[in-house]
Amino acid sequence: MPSPYTLHGTRIVASPTTLDAVVWPIDTTALRFAPDDVFVIDDESANATGDANDYVNLNVIGEHAIVAPEAGFVGCWLDADQLAHVAEHIDWTLPPLADRPVLAQGFIAGVPAKLYLATGEEAVTARHALLLTNAAYAHELWERLS
Amino acid sequence: MTGTTSTGTPRIIFDGQPIPYAVGDSVAMAVLRAGQHPHHGGTLCLAGDCPSCVCEVGGIAYVRTCQTPATPGLSIRRHPEIGAPALRPVPQPDVTRPPVLADISVRRIEADLVVIGRGDSGRAAAGDAERAGRSVTVLDAADGNEVVAIYSGPTVIVRRSDAMVHVHAHDIVVATGAAELHPVCPGNMLIGIVTARAAEQMHAAGVDLGVAVAVGVAPVAVPCTVLDGTIVEVVGEPTSGRVTGVVTTSGTAVCDTLIVGLGLSGRDLLSRMTGPDQPVTLVGPASEKFALPACPTEGIICPCSKVAVEDLQGVWDRGFHELELVKRASLCGTGTCQGGVCGPYLRSFVADRSGSVPEPFTARPASRQITLGEASADVYTDAFRRSPLHDEHLALGARLDRFGTWFRPWNYGDPIAEYWAVREAVSLGDVSTLGKLLVSGPDAVELLERLYPTTVADIRVGRSRYVLLLNERGHLIDDGMICREGENRFVLTFTSGGAANAEMWVRDWVETWNLNVHILDQTMSLAAINVTGPLAAELLGRLGVDEPPKFLQHIHADVAGVPCHVMRLSFTGEASFELHHAVDRSVELWRALMGAGQDLGIKPHGLQALFGLRLEKGHVIVGMDSEMDSTPRRLNMDWAVKMGKPDFLGKSALARTNELPNERRLFGFTIEGDAPTEGSPIYAADDNGVERLAGHVASSFTSPLLGHGIMLGWIKKLPWPHTVTIDGRTATVAEPPFYDPQGRRARA
Repeated sequence: MPSPYTLHGTRIVASPTTLDAVVWPIDTTALRFAPDDVFVIDDESANATGDANDYVNLNVIGEHAIVAPEAGFVGCWLDADQLAHVAEHIDWTLPPLADRPVLAQGFIAGVPAKLYLATGEEAVTARHALLLTNAAYAHELWERLS
Repeated sequence: MTGTTSTGTPRIIFDGQPIPYAVGDSVAMAVLRAGQHPHHGGTLCLAGDCPSCVCEVGGIAYVRTCQTPATPGLSIRRHPEIGAPALRPVPQPDVTRPPVLADISVRRIEADLVVIGRGDSGRAAAGDAERAGRSVTVLDAADGNEVVAIYSGPTVIVRRSDAMVHVHAHDIVVATGAAELHPVCPGNMLIGIVTARAAEQMHAAGVDLGVAVAVGVAPVAVPCTVLDGTIVEVVGEPTSGRVTGVVTTSGTAVCDTLIVGLGLSGRDLLSRMTGPDQPVTLVGPASEKFALPACPTEGIICPCSKVAVEDLQGVWDRGFHELELVKRASLCGTGTCQGGVCGPYLRSFVADRSGSVPEPFTARPASRQITLGEASADVYTDAFRRSPLHDEHLALGARLDRFGTWFRPWNYGDPIAEYWAVREAVSLGDVSTLGKLLVSGPDAVELLERLYPTTVADIRVGRSRYVLLLNERGHLIDDGMICREGENRFVLTFTSGGAANAEMWVRDWVETWNLNVHILDQTMSLAAINVTGPLAAELLGRLGVDEPPKFLQHIHADVAGVPCHVMRLSFTGEASFELHHAVDRSVELWRALMGAGQDLGIKPHGLQALFGLRLEKGHVIVGMDSEMDSTPRRLNMDWAVKMGKPDFLGKSALARTNELPNERRLFGFTIEGDAPTEGSPIYAADDNGVERLAGHVASSFTSPLLGHGIMLGWIKKLPWPHTVTIDGRTATVAEPPFYDPQGRRARA
């Protein structure tokens, strides 16, 4: 398993309709944790660097929306073999290819985690899926997957 | 004792005695070949449907020996005739460590169409599907893939010798064929009764059946006499328990083996484990609606639990008239074969008594006995969270323990030194585990006014307030702080153990009240370090905070270059600053604080010291000092409730219960010498001077500063006593705080 690194990004909590209407920049990945909650990471941040200044610059969406820097998640991109290995520790059905890209959330190896499953097009460069979890669970998850 | 004879004939060990077997024999066949019975009687099907051949094999109980190949030296023990096989003693587990589970792996695979069973109907279904372009996975016990369950999803659970396999399937076809009916009549638990198919197998294997008599459909190519009619009674020899004859409605016959061909029953157990909306299809004999057998009048109907027809009648007479109720009340259908043998008779019984034929009962996994190791394979123990400072704590010699789903430092080797560092110098505490919610929106004030029993609208921006969280019954469910960040923006904190429930609680009420509020849970996004002690402000000053906030105020400031939300409060009784910051900067901040505080006598403190420090101040820990039904009045915390507010959760309940006699309350106690153990009973004298149980100690601490024990504890007896007896010693009731009652040090 690749080592996890901090995923720096921006957490936005706003009304679902507001978030539905946002067109995210092409160099970002928007992970919709909930209808009113999205974690936006830029591709560079999600790829490797872990630079603390990688926060995505976004305009505030609505006066009362919450826009906060987020560094509480760690993760790593997985290639096809690594994804297959992780899938052996998942007791739920992965979303089918037709539904991807998609964020799946649930227990992986008994640890709360998330799996962003890329499309085939995104997956050509060994980025089939982004595995992420709260930093507080990282040690437990990676130990169980190793 | 070896697994072969001197001539090389392989042997198994049955009840401690070696018996030879033929190549290809199952264990059951080898036992029958030796003239013995794998159980203590009952009809044998040799198809895995009945409980009459289950034994302890290789130390594992409830193994179907007809499905178990005989191998040299394999040890088999019969189960006791009555009751369950004895559990083997296991060493006392170490409860402080996660349980050690059997090393059985789970493989998870995805499949398009799963066909269970590769008999005629299974092969036909698989062939049809493949011709239609489907990808087919066929699972059959004969290939080592024993299907034991289907869960909604659907997921097929397969037992293999080397692993458990979870197959996530899009569609499932159950083609498991049909089982043979067993006789239910007097004498049906004798040794020497076999089904027609079993007789065919035994004959083909060269097992001597002796004088064989068949009733019903006769076996193919098995020498036997066919007796017409239905079975009235099987006759046996009392000492050996063996069959000696059979009586039917048409006559009597003497025999060594009774062969029964009484009809079939679809093996549909697996298909009944999932709901009707699941893509599970029955095909072939498994799907057929075979005629039910006639309702029995005598005999054992359930060979697993030894339930007789008269037992069912007793259950019926007590008013259990539905199939599921009869099953549960009699245990008929709950045993080893899960209704494989008794199911048709049970339905027949209910149909006879009620006049309508009930559908088969719902089946529940597993259809076969599996070991606890197989059941728990790949089941993970709870995941405990780690603070970003976890490794820093370990490097400092911390003893970590589990609290509220987190690993937290209990102490760093010297809790008394940690205590004094807080009281006399400066200390760091890792409070990253506190719940932290950011609440924003035009209805934020209204939400918090409704949630909390204190006033919120009058909290000025930059100020904070301690709050109780009550449920509708006015019982304390959590506590924490409200920090006002803006006109409509607040940071809420909760206890470490209560954070998850508190978040759900707040979100539920936002939805219920349809308020326009956004919520972000930052519990695991933000770490927090509590800088506490009389030198805390000086330490912060060294790291760039020239003007630390005053008591119950909060600011945003960089501490050693790390952006922090600095909250001034106090749980220890000393000046305290909680530094909330991004988790990825926590180690950097911790090391900067520890480094800058060396000459100030800085030390980290663990929960052991913290629990004592807060007890000196009389601060309550929710769940430790409070009980499930603790109201603020019972906790002596009425001061945190503003009954004059228009409304808040729990107000009406408090208004009512506050008028009732207060028959229990949390008190403080002091005692000479060391503090008694938490949980100790508290005794108080009644009107006659007799000491009676009056409550218990919730938390206790031997105060280094005060030189005696202090406690919080519950008194559940009126009138409130002035002195009590704890641990055989006199303790004095004393209102906390025990230390700095004016709170000057916290505000310094």
